[in-house]
This record gives sequence, C-alpha cells and structure tokens, in this order.
Amino acid sequence: MKGLLILSAVLLAVFAKEDFSGHQVLRISAADKAQVEEVKKLEDLDHLQLDFWQGPASPSNPIDVRVPFHSVQSVKSFLEFNKINYKIMIDDVQLLLNNEQQQMLADQSKVRSTDIFRYDTYHTLTEIYDFMDLLVAENPNLVSKIQIGKSFEGRPLNVLKFSTGGNNRPAIWIDTGIHSREWVTQASGVWFAKKITEDYGHDETLTAILNSMDIFLEIVTNPDGFAYTHSTNRLWRKTRSIIPGSTCVGVDPNRNWDAAFGAAGASSNPCSETYHGKFPNSEVEVKSIVDFVKSHGNIKAFISIHSYSQLLLYPYGYTTTRAANQQELDELAKAAVTNLASLYGTKYKYGSIITTIYQASGSTIDWTYDSGIRYSYTFELRDTGRYGFLLPAKEIIPTAQETWLALMTIMDYALKHPY
Amino acid sequence: MLARRRPAGPGPTALLLVALLAAEARASWLIRRPLSPSGPELRQAARAALHFFNYRAASPSTVRVLKEVLNGTALIREEGENIKVAFSIESYRTENSQLGTCSALVGFKDHKSRPTVNISCTPLLDQKERKKEDYKLYKQIKQLETPPFETTIPGKLGDMDPSLQPLWELAMIGNSFLMWEKTTSTSSYYYVQQITNIKKWIRPDDFIILHYRLLLHEFRTQEIISCHLHLVWHPEKPSKTQYHCQDSGTQENGSGNSEGSGFL
Repeated sequence: MKGLLILSAVLLAVFAKEDFSGHQVLRISAADKAQVEEVKKLEDLDHLQLDFWQGPASPSNPIDVRVPFHSVQSVKSFLEFNKINYKIMIDDVQLLLNNEQQQMLADQSKVRSTDIFRYDTYHTLTEIYDFMDLLVAENPNLVSKIQIGKSFEGRPLNVLKFSTGGNNRPAIWIDTGIHSREWVTQASGVWFAKKITEDYGHDETLTAILNSMDIFLEIVTNPDGFAYTHSTNRLWRKTRSIIPGSTCVGVDPNRNWDAAFGAAGASSNPCSETYHGKFPNSEVEVKSIVDFVKSHGNIKAFISIHSYSQLLLYPYGYTTTRAANQQELDELAKAAVTNLASLYGTKYKYGSIITTIYQASGSTIDWTYDSGIRYSYTFELRDTGRYGFLLPAKEIIPTAQETWLALMTIMDYALKHPY
Repeated sequence: MLARRRPAGPGPTALLLVALLAAEARASWLIRRPLSPSGPELRQAARAALHFFNYRAASPSTVRVLKEVLNGTALIREEGENIKVAFSIESYRTENSQLGTCSALVGFKDHKSRPTVNISCTPLLDQKERKKEDYKLYKQIKQLETPPFETTIPGKLGDMDPSLQPLWELAMIGNSFLMWEKTTSTSSYYYVQQITNIKKWIRPDDFIILHYRLLLHEFRTQEIISCHLHLVWHPEKPSKTQYHCQDSGTQENGSGNSEGSGFL
C-alpha cells in the first residue's frame, strides 16, 4: 500500500506516444506469491500504460512487461522499493524495431523497381508476383497481367501479356515452372519478362515480333507446388491437389493433358511422380491453360519449359509416329540449339520426346500440337546432372541468356511462317 | 577364332554339312552389333562404367563426370550382353576443367544384377598430385566440424558452402557405388540431388566414417529415392560403402557392401 502511494507521488504526466522511443522491456522475477500480487497491482494502473508480454502468474514464471518511457522511473522505483528483482531485457524498443526494419528491407528485396530486382538469385512466390506487378506498372503500354484461374489451394494463376496493340493477334505462349522443383525455369521466366521490356524498341527482331504478335508468359505455372518447394520439400514436382481415396497428394501436370491420357508413359498410382490424375485436365492449373488456349484461338507457338537435361523436344511423347511436320520441327530445333550454344558453348540435344528422353503420355505439347499449334516445343534447361534441380544461382542468368537465343529463334520463325 | 573340329566317320558331304552347322551354332553365340553413340544403350553402359570407376578409384578430388559417348559395340553372348564403350569425361571440379577419356567393357547380365565393369581411364592428375589433393581433402574433413543434422548439401538455393564441399566430394565415392549397383541395361539412370543428416567420425586407425542420407533422382520415373549411406574412407586405402534405400513408390529395400581399392 505504501509502495502504491509512492508510485502515485512520482507519476509523470500521461501523454500519448506515437513511437516506442525510450520504451523498455523489463523481466521481473517475483520471489514469492506476495511479490506476484504486488506486480499484479501494477497491471491495474491504467495510466502507466504497461504492456505485459508475459503477465504475473506464479513465482516460478518470469514476468515480461513493456514499459513506456514516461512510466519507466515509476515502475523501477516501485519494484526497487518492494525489493522485487528485475532486469532490463530491451533498452530501447524503437531502436530495436528500427534495426529489424532495416534488416528486413535489406534481406527481403521488397524492391520498388525491376531495375534493382535481383535476377541472379532464386525468389519466393510473393517476390515473383510482386515483380510481375512492378513490371506491369513500369511498362503499362506493353505489359499487362491476366489471371487465368486459381490453383487448387486458391493461388492466382497469373500470365503476363506482352502486346503492342491489335485485337487477338497471333500469339506465342511460354510457360515456366509447371514442375515446381525446376527452379531455374521460374527464375529464367522472370529474366525473360524483363528482357522483353528492355529489348522492345531496341532489338530489331523482338520489335518485329511484338509489332505483329503477342507474347503470353506464365512464370509460375504451378504456384502451389512452388510454395511447397520453399516451405517443405525442395524436390516436390507435382501439383498439391488432394486425391480422393489416397493419402498421397498431387498430380503430374505434365501427364494430365488430353493427349493419349493414361496411356503408357504415365502412372496410375497417386503416389507416383508421374501420376496422371483421375481424368484429363483434372488439375485446375492445366485446365486453366487449356481454356485460355481454346478461347484465345490464335496461338501459333507454344513453349513449355522444364529442367534439367539440356534438351529441346518436339512432339510426340506418347507415340513413335512422327509429327506431320517433323522435318520442319527438327530443322528449327537444330537452329535454335545452335544459337543457344553460340553464347557459352552449352550443348543441347534435340528430337522428339519419345526418342530423346522417354515415353510420356498426356504431356503438354502433345496436346497443344494435336490442337493445331504447329510449333510446340518443350525445353529441358541446365544442367545434365551435376547439380540437377538444385542448380547454383550463379547459373540462372547464363541459362536464361542462352535459352533466350533459342526462344528468339523459334519466335522469329513463327513470325515469318504464319499459318 | 571359330575352331573347327573335324568329325571322324561319314563322307565329304556329311562332313561339310556338319561343319556348316557347327559354324552356324558358334556364330549365334557371339554377335557383334554396332551401336549409335547417341543411343541409349551406349549411354547407359558409359554411366555404369563411370560410376564403377569413381567408386573403385575412391579419389574424391578426381571424381569424373561423363561428357560424350564416342563409340561402342554390343557383343551379345548367351549369358547376356557385353557392351564395349569409349567415352570422354571431365573432372567434377569445374575449376580444373580437365578432360580425359575412358574405355570400358560392361557386362549386363539381367535387370537385377549389378553390371560387371572392366575400365581404364586416362589420368586427370599425375599420381603425386592426386595423392596430394586427396590428402588435402582428408585433412579438411578431419578438421571440419560436423554440420548440423538438418544441413543439406547443396542448400535449397543450390548453394554450397565451400567449407562443406569436401564432404560433398567424399560422398560421391559412396554415391557412385550405389549408382553403379543400380544401373542395369534396362534400369533407369540416376543423379545425386542432395545429401543431409551428415555424421562424421574419425576411427582410431584414422579412417573417416561418413554417415549420411542421400536424395537420388531416378530419371525415367522422376522419383526421388531416399538412401542412407555409410562410407569408410582413407586416401589410398580400400574404402567400404554400405547403403540402404527406400524406393519411394515400390517400398523396396536395397542394400550393398563394397570394397573399393583406392589404387586405380
């Protein structure tokens, strides 16, 4: 009681504080129940504006309290008068917050411009989606963002549209990250997006392409899988859809297309990495693209990007029957990988999926090709197995740069060979 | 090459007929079949051969990586197929970017047994240099503090702390043994993705013991196989590897034992 009187006597004027400068966090060690009761009395004094992080409960538990600057002296005097032990845990809360803020800004590249975005590191889903919004904001006359659907777990499926006008122009589609663990592909997609904005109006070939055609780029084609590779399992490949009747999760989005669905070259076992799903387009990530392609109706080249193996592949995966324009596809592939190799000497092999890599049914470009998209290709980017999926970040930019040369070869060809 | 026995008895025609039949029979034992350097059979043989070489050489500083298949033939015998293959390699350590070639005879018996390999490769470093590099790595590992249990090499961003690189290279010896055993003519092929849960001891006789978990990528099925490996190593002394794998889809367990020579 006496302590409380002293406390009232040394009360300072109460005024609202906007920040936490001078606030301290004290850790109080109450020796017995009586001391705990004393501290409880402090809780009742509203004018002190104490913020208990760990309230007074029992003598064995430390009591943590944030004390505003104006109450610091009073509280300390009270504690000392009552012979209650305490120590200062945080000297100045605002200083701590300032440091934390600075660190977060430094680490977490919540960048304000795509010019200072780090292209040589791997990013989270949020960072990539923020990048997309920035790019659109910086290039409103060239880039727009379309949401083609929502993933199984409700994430937006975002596509960047690069267009200089026109109405439903013939278009080129590029997707990266359909298999979430293939991180160099999403990272390259980010680089491609920036590259397009840099080169339009400066590079003759790209400018010619964009003056007649549109480019659609889906950077994170499997966002649920991608988030999972960050949070839980770096080597996750499939979607994250729940499979009724199974404890296993996810469908291989590159076996879920309506092209020889379920035939040899995919698995009917839900726990398998190449599980095709219960029916074609069961995966919303796949269906959204199918719906988009069908309703657009004017896509002339479709390129789906994977890693790793250093291959450029054309249809088919489900059959050894040659594609109708196989020779043309083969010659174009040869030209593309030659241009790719010109930069750093990176060697790519090329050919049909089934003869070059393995038999695969229900795969993306078999469907797009059979739907009439003549120039359908799949890339497998770096490397050939030294690091595989866990490609060191320093290889992102060289990979993106050389792959871009191959993409340009295909896009330029599509421009010059309308159909 | 084809020995001809002269049967005693019947007349010249019969003799000729029997001789022809005998020759026919011999010819079906051994058929040479040229193989395309870009084809899957030669590539598979080259992989099996190189995994074997890397494990037997047991030299972490000179682990080799397959570069190009040059040429080869298949020799089909009754017991199975032998593949003769020549291929180029480069050093795993990219800083050195050394090149070399190997030629091997790989015997594939059936899809269960590990292939038999006879191989010789051009040296990447001279004997003295290699010994020096392996001992350097040996010392680095001895002095290294065991990384925390959850540490993965590489990290999820593909980053590899230079201080942990020697562990990665040493693990390649054990990984190569495992991959050699698993690579048959009809099987998939394998690539190492990550190692983790690393434990390291030094035995009283100065051998390093490395115990770790390996995540292996099986290419044809795209599955990730989790294995535990136990590697016992000393530069220039026989090494030993034991492993135990959990094949994710099939729930199969595989294990193996080895004696590496370190003297290749």
